[in-house]
Amino acid sequence: MKITVSINIGGYSFNIDEDAYTELKRYLKNLELHFAEEESSSEILSDIESRMAELFRGKLTAYKQVITIDDVNKVISVLGTPEDISDNEKRSAGEKFSSPGYNRMYRDPDRRIIGGVCSGMGAYWNTEPWIVRVIFLVLAMMGGLGILIYLILYIVLPEAKTTAQKIEMKGDPVNIHNIRESVKKEFDTVTKKMKL
Amino acid sequence: MDLENTKAQMRKGILEYCILSVLSRNSCYASDIIKELKEARVIVVEGTLYPLLTRQKNAGLLSYRWEESQQGPPRKYYELTPEGKEYLADLDKSWDELVESVNLIRTGKKSKTS
Repeated sequence: MKITVSINIGGYSFNIDEDAYTELKRYLKNLELHFAEEESSSEILSDIESRMAELFRGKLTAYKQVITIDDVNKVISVLGTPEDISDNEKRSAGEKFSSPGYNRMYRDPDRRIIGGVCSGMGAYWNTEPWIVRVIFLVLAMMGGLGILIYLILYIVLPEAKTTAQKIEMKGDPVNIHNIRESVKKEFDTVTKKMKL
Repeated sequence: MDLENTKAQMRKGILEYCILSVLSRNSCYASDIIKELKEARVIVVEGTLYPLLTRQKNAGLLSYRWEESQQGPPRKYYELTPEGKEYLADLDKSWDELVESVNLIRTGKKSKTS
């Protein structure tokens, strides 16, 4: 037994297995990111969705009324992943969307203990946050200087909120590929959390 | 150099031309265009077509209209605008020239006129 989800693609309603739904959602999200820089990205996406609906309808019969993960994978291979599509376009990967691979200092909300200052600095210098934390702690015990510096940095440093900022914080160049990886990672953690 | 890359580059160049050629015969909806392009093996994944169509439409080469369909929601039918027809005529000419030039080079024969 499997749970199914009911979705609307291009004006058609489909019943789709839950795992297939997750995969499809991820695929559409990737496409959306891929076409994000395009002038009429929403139009392209809705055209692709219409085609997708057509392909899915071809997979259904009177005896098979639910879209499976297999169907989704087949349709993805027909339509092509963003990689396949850009392969044909050969805009060299991440050329347009990227800032150079330097990193900026942010506060890291994902690994923070107090305000994310130390973990952000750790990411900036590519060291473990606990090393930075020990330094701050020592400075704090010697007359409270560490606390003052921490407060100033907390005010001055912006928090890395968006995916692009988090990538920048880690010093990777910001491009479609990296953003997709991070989004995927986040997506996986969320799915895992939901299952627990 | 890798062969697949070179092939992809070649295909990319002619794909836009092929789309316009398909539409010069009659107005089509996207799945018809895909069918023709697939039969002629100029397209690998379908997703490549849609951004191109939209770009050509934005450039004023194509227009579209919605047409009711018996099988489902209305479909988008694309057709060439007068501007698109001119553009295509230009491409037709340069394609012929290109084929001629490449053939000359491949056979190693010198052009008769020069």
